[in-house]
Amino acid sequence: MSIKPIDELKPGMVLASDLIAKDGRLLFRSGTELADNQLQLLKRVAILEADVEPDLSDLTEADLLAVEDYVREFFLYVNPDHPAVIEMFHIALELTARAVAGGWKLPDLDERRAANVEHLEDVFVAGMGTPETIVEHETELASFPDIFFRIKEVLEDDAASADRIAKVVSTDLSLSAKLLKLVNSPLYGFPQTIDSISRAVALVGGKELSTLALGISAINYFKDIPPELVDMPSFWRHSITCGIFARMLAGTQSGLSAERFFIGGLLHDVGRLILFKKLPYASTEAMLFARENYLPLVEAEMAVMELCHTDISTPLLEAWKFPESLAVMINYHHSPMEYPNPLEPAIVHVADNLTNAVEIAQGGMYVMPGLDEQAWELLGINPEETLNQAVSQYADQIDLVMSAFF
Amino acid sequence: MSSLFSKSSTLRQGVKITDEEFIRLRDFIYGKSGIFVDEKRKYLFESRFSRRLGELGLTNFTDYIKYLKVDRGQELKQLFAMVTTNETSFCRDTKQLDSFRDNLLKEVLDRQRKAGRLELNVWSAGCSSGEEPYTLVFLLLEILKAEITRWRINITAVDLSEDMITRAKAGIYTEYAFKTTPDDIRKRYFKEVEGGWELDPRIRKLVKFMPMNLNDSLAIKRIPRSHIVFCRNVIIYFDDAMKRKVVQAFYDNLLPGGYLLLGHSESLHKISQSFKPVHNAGAIAYKKEE
Repeated sequence: MSIKPIDELKPGMVLASDLIAKDGRLLFRSGTELADNQLQLLKRVAILEADVEPDLSDLTEADLLAVEDYVREFFLYVNPDHPAVIEMFHIALELTARAVAGGWKLPDLDERRAANVEHLEDVFVAGMGTPETIVEHETELASFPDIFFRIKEVLEDDAASADRIAKVVSTDLSLSAKLLKLVNSPLYGFPQTIDSISRAVALVGGKELSTLALGISAINYFKDIPPELVDMPSFWRHSITCGIFARMLAGTQSGLSAERFFIGGLLHDVGRLILFKKLPYASTEAMLFARENYLPLVEAEMAVMELCHTDISTPLLEAWKFPESLAVMINYHHSPMEYPNPLEPAIVHVADNLTNAVEIAQGGMYVMPGLDEQAWELLGINPEETLNQAVSQYADQIDLVMSAFF
Repeated sequence: MSSLFSKSSTLRQGVKITDEEFIRLRDFIYGKSGIFVDEKRKYLFESRFSRRLGELGLTNFTDYIKYLKVDRGQELKQLFAMVTTNETSFCRDTKQLDSFRDNLLKEVLDRQRKAGRLELNVWSAGCSSGEEPYTLVFLLLEILKAEITRWRINITAVDLSEDMITRAKAGIYTEYAFKTTPDDIRKRYFKEVEGGWELDPRIRKLVKFMPMNLNDSLAIKRIPRSHIVFCRNVIIYFDDAMKRKVVQAFYDNLLPGGYLLLGHSESLHKISQSFKPVHNAGAIAYKKEE
């Protein structure tokens, strides 16, 4: 994003977001290439500035080299000869160059490492907590939202009518509001506004809508995590991005319900939130260890704590009696091939990698988590075409989907 | 997406390592340093070493492995610098240090006083650029005050990397080393110089630095028997077999009643049953029983 004053706008520049007049009228849509007559119009209606795509031609050769060096570091851990990895590298290069053209300053090494965690205290001393005891400590303290179990009940009941589904979901006002925002977002692209849950059930499908409701109600559980432990907006942005990608990648496979993948992506890192609550010092040490050694966070967790966030999500989702197929996507997203039927976790796995690639340009701190080549093969997709398409759709969707949640 | 970067701009930059070369190099590093490089880190390893191969004008890893073997240890220094990182700062993990000062250190000093031996030996294993052993000096000054002149204090600090030892001896630190340091410590013991902050030479001479490989059993035997061993955030780089070996060496080095301190998230759980874990205010230490 790059906001330019009207005098600096030139023909050929492309709008990065919808241009709205003072009276609320839409002047031009995002993506419009500005021509002379349009610029004159903007002056006439007293528009002062516009959000345009950064001008990549402003970048010098040295800028491009700096971008390349910066992005390359995030790919040190993964196979530099794999076509999907190479494509993700190109995507990250491009997005980072745009961000830099838009005024973003590449973070230096100190910014990427600095963190003082001396005030944090772990619940368990080193080596004393197992995934089970850590999760138990959590589930004993706080109960899961009641609405979650009511939705789960209708989800598991094959005979549940659309009416009943709508009724159960509608009892929770904040949940219904989020769901409506979500189904009205570009993620669905319905031509008309959907203004009721029963309409949403009719259009999206009962099972699908209950799955969405289930996942979103689970998020509520984590709303009280202190912000000094983890930057929640970026955590959820990562999660939602992964959900969007997982949903799109699922669409390339036949017979998969896309909503389940959105939720699988949305919740893929929940184990990490529990680690932050119970082992904040150790989790932060793992983050630093990952950054210093160019290791994926999951591997740093193993090195520092001898357990990782999917070790935590396994007993956690079991304690919550999460639907098995969703739990599998979450618990195996770093090791899809270890699950007997690996396609579904493989989709979240690829989505997580792509998420990390697009986050580099947003100040992401961690290297690519590692792409399992067999898992990639399972999807049978063309890297260049599918990944670029996914990224361009994501760019249109992410902000509006984020705003449905927060 | 239209591209500014040529599609042919490759991600790969250096020489490719074959699986067989990787295993040979990994085993070589393990044998020399005890540092275990997991298969998953193959590409990371490949790219770190590629630059070095380029500098040496070598075109494949087989030649590099040969070079390592004929080079009689000179290249090892470069290699060790590539396989370790050196994240540290003064007074890192304040809770552990406070607890150490108020409990274990007091106990050990009292015991020595009672026995009429005003002597304390400390070994800092994996001292990086010196922040840890110097922090121990700060703690001792704080607790002993003027009495310190009557004590014989030996702090031996070792690290695998010679570069780190040189930096530790020089005692000049950038802002980064102070991110966990109380301001009064910096004011008391450091003075601002070009390029950072210089540690008071009177403190520097209280620590004896030397490069050392923790996998070298003979070298380890030359370390004076210690009352306290600090080895924080080092064994994280080792596999279980090497962890056991190093922890046993610490055990052998410690005097009865002495303590081993590990990093905040490290534990001897699964590694050794010889020590008695001692919990004090959220920090854990390992005691060699008398």
